[in-house]
Amino acid sequence: MINILLIFIGKFISSISRTFNLGNGSTWPGHIALSINKNFITDLLKTSKTNTILIIGTNGKTTTTKLLQTILEHTGKRVLINSSGANLLNGIASSLIIHALLNARIKKDFAIFEVDENVFPAAALFIKPDFVIALNLFRDQLDRYGEIDTISKKWKDSIKNLKNTNLILNSDDPQIAYLGKDVENVNYFGMESKSLENITLEHSSDSLLCPNCGKKLSFSAYYFSHLGKWKCDNCGFKRPSPDITHTPFYPIPGTHAMYDVLASVLLAKKLKISNKVIEKSLRSFKPAFGRQEIIVSNGRQIQFFLSKNPTSFNESLKTITSLNPKNLLILLNDRIPDGTDVSWIWDIDFEKLLEKNTKLYVSGDRVYDLALRLKYAGISRENYKTFENISDAINSGLTSTGANDTLYILPTYSAMLEARKILTGKKIL
Amino acid sequence: MRNNHKSSIINHQSLVIGWLYPELMSIYGDRGNIIVLQKRCEWRNIKVEVLMLNVGFEKNQLLKCDLLFMGGAQDKQQEAVSIDLHKKRNILKKLIESNIPGLFICGAYQFLGQYYEESNGNIINGLKIFDIFTKNGGESIKRLIGNISLTCSTLGIRLLGFENHGGRTYLLQNAKPFGRVIKGYGNNGDDKTEGIIYKNCFGTYLHGPILPKNPALADFLIQKALEKKYGTKITLKKLDDGLEEKARITIAKRLSVEI
Repeated sequence: MINILLIFIGKFISSISRTFNLGNGSTWPGHIALSINKNFITDLLKTSKTNTILIIGTNGKTTTTKLLQTILEHTGKRVLINSSGANLLNGIASSLIIHALLNARIKKDFAIFEVDENVFPAAALFIKPDFVIALNLFRDQLDRYGEIDTISKKWKDSIKNLKNTNLILNSDDPQIAYLGKDVENVNYFGMESKSLENITLEHSSDSLLCPNCGKKLSFSAYYFSHLGKWKCDNCGFKRPSPDITHTPFYPIPGTHAMYDVLASVLLAKKLKISNKVIEKSLRSFKPAFGRQEIIVSNGRQIQFFLSKNPTSFNESLKTITSLNPKNLLILLNDRIPDGTDVSWIWDIDFEKLLEKNTKLYVSGDRVYDLALRLKYAGISRENYKTFENISDAINSGLTSTGANDTLYILPTYSAMLEARKILTGKKIL
Repeated sequence: MRNNHKSSIINHQSLVIGWLYPELMSIYGDRGNIIVLQKRCEWRNIKVEVLMLNVGFEKNQLLKCDLLFMGGAQDKQQEAVSIDLHKKRNILKKLIESNIPGLFICGAYQFLGQYYEESNGNIINGLKIFDIFTKNGGESIKRLIGNISLTCSTLGIRLLGFENHGGRTYLLQNAKPFGRVIKGYGNNGDDKTEGIIYKNCFGTYLHGPILPKNPALADFLIQKALEKKYGTKITLKKLDDGLEEKARITIAKRLSVEI
């Protein structure tokens, strides 16, 4: 009974915040429900036949959620997801409230939740998911998440206690593959592509030591960052042989995105969805907001590449430089969702931009830290302009962008929300 | 001999920077410190070579270095480095005692101390070069995280940076702190000290990385390295630090301190 009331209140708050564009409708209803009934999520899922999927990893959660949603909806399944960024327990509870009927039933076939790194143990406990997809583990916002070894230990402990969960794990990331060690019901996705193999390690790499014994791992190939073909010469722990290495179609550019597609397709195959349907649905895929999303404003094309940590930033920069950009706007904020520590910008290879004749615009809360990074990358002062105000930076960038050109935007999370709001006049969260 | 050739040597200055364990001890954008040292030398026509001293390096490599740098890491990485570093302890100690300039951040700073006490009371021996020791209070003790400002009276400058450490470091008798904390935590959050200065070496928790926003410290290290190498007083050419100043002002404003 209490849950029915909580759903009623939650729906009411959510509709008000949407009507008045307050921008926090995706977490408040859940926050209230959980503070009154801490088992709210378990209660709601218990009475429904919804299959649950949790997606964890530093990078690619939102894209993978959207990929799976697209595939499942193509087969006629009803799918519920939490909105991106609302990946704490309150966001999960809110998405249940929004989709629940007034009798507290959930009439959906699948619920896909992307889950924050630190929240995964609690979410796993409350949800007892049917599937967990673990994508990767990169250094991210050390001030908020701590060091990656701490997170991987929490995940390992939590996964040991899950009984009827199928794990979908990245074989190429040693810390992720380790989650499947001595556990049942595990499938692996990984890369197999001679043309994408590198023999040297990129600078911003994290997991070089064996998660099992702590000795240095040896790699015969790297795909990007520390993802590749690895083995430990000391204890013998090695990259598990992947169950999937190719998919019929990759809807988004970039090596990092290929892993998201592989993970989604592997799960779809576990659900016995045919190759034909998978391929058709992937061809209809539209990226999630901010993730290579394209917006048109005043006849000019703007493309966002949300980047939250060294790995995603470096990958985005690689993809953008390959497109020979004329104008690139880089936005660095240091609020809680971005991470208050901006030291990671020194692990970004801005030196790549040296060969390009790209006009750079920089802005955000930490505009001068970013400008310093460009200065020390050796980029000449005429090639970048600094703006304390994001609107001014966007205006300047758009003014220089020709009618058939694209203004590329590489923002941190809160800067992406801000820039997108300036361009579309609408809040997302 | 040196003096006869002084002027020509000074016109072709060069430095060798020894970067200790770049592969395993490089977190929190530590690479930024190396980039800043390199660029500030290049902009003054000082040739720079960076030696990457990874686990297993030949210890005589250290003798080629004019300046040392070592960054921080996660616990597991530090264990791997610790074994290797202890083998090179004596030569490193000799270099530091003979006034080689050096910068040791976070985990590296702790390593050079007397010992590190784990949360279970287990004592890990340090290199016993700095007169400090560090205690780890375990996971229940909060990490000291945030922007920080301190004054260093030796250099006569205000430093700005970011700190993120779980360990609490304490100075032993006679140890001289790097600076006095104005805003932030510093060595342990209690006694207002931050880091250590020993000879021409600095141990500190400031990352961010430290040098881009504190170019005066970068220049001090470069100057000392050149003076030691060429045995003469050196005055570095002034550089335009306008952007550095603006980045400093951003943080100073946040902390409501003067720059």
